[in-house]
Amino acid sequence: MASREDIDIQKNTKDLINQFSVVLRTAQIHDPKNIAVASAVERLVSIINNLITYENLVTLELRGEFFYFNEYRIRYSLEYLLNFDFLVREFKKRELGSIIIRQKITAEDIKVFINAFISSSFSDNPFNAIEEKMAASKVISVGKLKKIVEEDSFDVRKMIKKTYFNAVSYTKGVINKIKSGEKVNIKKAKRVVETMVDHILEEEQLLLGMTAIKDYDEYTYHHSVNVSILSIALGQRLGLNRKMLTDLGMAALFHDIGKMEIPYEVLNKPTNFTDEEWKIIRKHPVWGVKSLLKLKRLDDLTIRTAIVAFEHHLNYDLTGYPKIRKSLELDLFSKIVSLADQYDAMTSARVYSRIPMSPDKALSIMMERAGSQLDPLLFKFFINMVGVYPIGTLVMLDSKELGLVYESNQLFADRPRVMIITDSKGNKIKSRVLDLTEKNEQDKFIRSIIKTMDPNKYKINLAEYLL
Amino acid sequence: MMEINDELKAAKDIIQVFLKSKKILRMYPQNNPIYIKTLEDSYSRFRDFFHYRDEYTLKIRQNDIFHDSEQIYNNPEKEDNLALFFFKDGLREITFKKGLTPEEMEEFLKIISLDFDREVIDDDIVTLLWERDFQNIQYVVDEAFLADEDEQETNSVIEIQERSTDEQNLLKAYEDAFKEEDTVKDVSIVPLSEKDLQLLFKELEKDSLDKTEKLTNILFEIFYASETKEDFSDVTDFLMNAIEFSIKKGDINLITNVLSVIKRILDNKNVDEEIKKYARKLILFSGSEKIITLLGEILDSGQEIDEKPFEDFVKFLEKNSIPSFMKILGELKNIHSRKFVIDALVFLGPKDIVALSNGLNDSRWYVVRNIIYILRKIGDKRSLEYLLKTVTHGDIRVRKEVIRALGELGGSGVLIPLKNCLVDPDIQVSSAALKALGNIASEAAKRIIMDKISENRFKDKDFEEKKEYFEVLSRWKDSEVYNFVVKILKKKTFWGRAKNYENRACAAYCLGLIGNKDALPVLNKCKNVSNKLLREFSYTAVKRIEHGQ
Repeated sequence: MASREDIDIQKNTKDLINQFSVVLRTAQIHDPKNIAVASAVERLVSIINNLITYENLVTLELRGEFFYFNEYRIRYSLEYLLNFDFLVREFKKRELGSIIIRQKITAEDIKVFINAFISSSFSDNPFNAIEEKMAASKVISVGKLKKIVEEDSFDVRKMIKKTYFNAVSYTKGVINKIKSGEKVNIKKAKRVVETMVDHILEEEQLLLGMTAIKDYDEYTYHHSVNVSILSIALGQRLGLNRKMLTDLGMAALFHDIGKMEIPYEVLNKPTNFTDEEWKIIRKHPVWGVKSLLKLKRLDDLTIRTAIVAFEHHLNYDLTGYPKIRKSLELDLFSKIVSLADQYDAMTSARVYSRIPMSPDKALSIMMERAGSQLDPLLFKFFINMVGVYPIGTLVMLDSKELGLVYESNQLFADRPRVMIITDSKGNKIKSRVLDLTEKNEQDKFIRSIIKTMDPNKYKINLAEYLL
Repeated sequence: MMEINDELKAAKDIIQVFLKSKKILRMYPQNNPIYIKTLEDSYSRFRDFFHYRDEYTLKIRQNDIFHDSEQIYNNPEKEDNLALFFFKDGLREITFKKGLTPEEMEEFLKIISLDFDREVIDDDIVTLLWERDFQNIQYVVDEAFLADEDEQETNSVIEIQERSTDEQNLLKAYEDAFKEEDTVKDVSIVPLSEKDLQLLFKELEKDSLDKTEKLTNILFEIFYASETKEDFSDVTDFLMNAIEFSIKKGDINLITNVLSVIKRILDNKNVDEEIKKYARKLILFSGSEKIITLLGEILDSGQEIDEKPFEDFVKFLEKNSIPSFMKILGELKNIHSRKFVIDALVFLGPKDIVALSNGLNDSRWYVVRNIIYILRKIGDKRSLEYLLKTVTHGDIRVRKEVIRALGELGGSGVLIPLKNCLVDPDIQVSSAALKALGNIASEAAKRIIMDKISENRFKDKDFEEKKEYFEVLSRWKDSEVYNFVVKILKKKTFWGRAKNYENRACAAYCLGLIGNKDALPVLNKCKNVSNKLLREFSYTAVKRIEHGQ
């Protein structure tokens, strides 16, 4: 159990982010002498000084998408979501990486910082402008935003790949074991999902990238893992805590477990299903409930998992299957898994549809379904998560190079990191990753996306580039 | 050198802390002084170590634990092997940072004290550490054992990467990019608004509710859609598990809801008999010893229970639940919870009086007394046969209760036992028997009382006891009683005058209660006698009759 002080500090650090954001937003609109600014500054001073009392030093650092307070990551807070996002964006815009406060401060100290921060937006080199203005301050100093070191990134990618394939292997093992009546180790499943949750929290884009590769032969296993990853990522956006994310990941991993009861020849039929075959397919949610409830003794997680297995094809408006007698309200997890399931299924190659849909096409279809088949609110979060250019999208840049979206950019949705795969004449080249937020000396973006295309239409093997 | 040795010793001491705590924390409750002292000692061992370093790191091998490169623990055995305990779940390194709080340490020790082999725990040690998300305890795990196939990654990647993208296809894509392509609908990102967040808050709030009821609703959907015996049997088993699970959580409402659906199934004439068989199975399960025992635990836990859902639940049960309720009746510690069970048995008892009456043979007097109370409340004459056997029970509290029950149940069979009880040496028992006879209010009962009063030795009874006899007799307001009492009031004796005055005072009191105005002349006459007791009782009786009280 955390001590009283720990809890206070955790709360204070969230307040710190929130109040920093409030101060900067207010100061961007009003004069620094305005009462609204002054009272916001007073509150910020009080939070900082309170933290200084406990910690002696306050270091607020932005790493990736998260803020760290004296080396501890500040947990994502739904309550302050908009302010968190605002501050991340403002820091990134200025390449500001950290603020270090060494002793108790006054409102005047903060005002110096505000002035430096706001005026920097007119500078070509905003970070240098801030640093210059803060040089005179004995209390507050600033640090530049650190770029992700490519070597580290390579190691993390290796780790994430390992996690992904461990999950696929585990899922395959579980299904085989259930089929042969062997005991299934749920503890292992939790460990697999926990690792995925950790990666989503730290390196969301990398693990999401793994779900973009859809050309595996063993669709069922990869699909389960992909749905689990997409669900966890969406859950994280919704502010679910780690334990809930694990439960969600587990429910998603097992959502299609009932499919193992479907005869192989039906499941892998390359042509359209007959009515009789559809009848069988539509039974898999019920079969899923049964399998899960037989797997282990009943607990909250099993209940949740069974509910998701039953509801994931029911649709937001309950027009799906299985048919129910009494109206019910879909579980939050079911609605999340349903979104992830549809997106992954549509963008994957399957026996009856070898050419998968492009991510943006899938999203546009899902958008039409939002409000009927899919929960419109959650879809809004989902689309914010995968971005306008989901990972794996084939793009033509204004430099006439072709590229694949490699990582979405949460703050500048139209400027993802792109892996360039052809030169400006269309010749295949050794791929390299570029950040579309990069600017030239004239402060103009070096490259921009001018068109999106379907990589599947041209049989572009995403695995060749993204793995 | 000296310092290194001291540090090593401090590191080893912490290992001893783990070994000791694993036992102590398992054996003693949290408020036990030994438990508390162990935690205090453990924390001071950590503090000792942090004099030397800011981090205490353990590297874990199968049978060894190392601090730096020094082995500080070794155990080649499989049993009680601390290294293996960590190693088997994939833990390879644990680091405790200087900021470690006593609470974090206690949580950690609690985790390692769990008996993973015996207890039903769905999490391994790594999951438990992960869930706690300690700020000052970090660990490194080897995830390799999570994969069922070592080669999954290699195989999948090789297969898929072999299909290298064709250069011609890339060129085609490049050329097509300059043409007007089939446009894909634009999907734009809509910024999240405050309203969206509010809606999400509501959604999350709803999500925190228990999901068991939802599962049961789904199970009923599956139940209705079932086609084979196997389907029905499976769903019935699942519903039983859900009932058990919710009761363990202290939720009585769920079981009541489930049973009300079951009841509707049973009452529906269109439902097949075969299906009803499974529905009945659920009702029997709800009243089984397993469920009722769990229910007893809830009742005794001090948790506030609403009477209504409990009553509703009981209404659905069958007679199979009676023995289980009787069992917990003897085990519950709390009077309030026993009251719930008694009420349940009052409702259920008529379904099987014989089963309920078996409780009269219980060795615990209070259980017997409760059963008698229940039988009395039920008021079924079939129970008399069993109740009569307890009239001679060794405990006076039981005897009193059964006499009261006999009085309320009545019937010719109870008169003789009650008459016999009138001479019980314990005044409470004889008094209860007297009141019971009064309750029966039959001619035969009246006769017994009048005969008792007529006995010579009656006058020697204590005044209060005699008064009670006359009070009971006043329930019969017929002429026979009236004349009988008037005769006593008028009776004069030479010997034992004081006792006779007591009898006469009781008779006056009785006439007052009967309320017959014909008695006024004789009572008025007695108002002026020299005996104070008779005078006062007569005066009160007259007043009572005159004012019709």
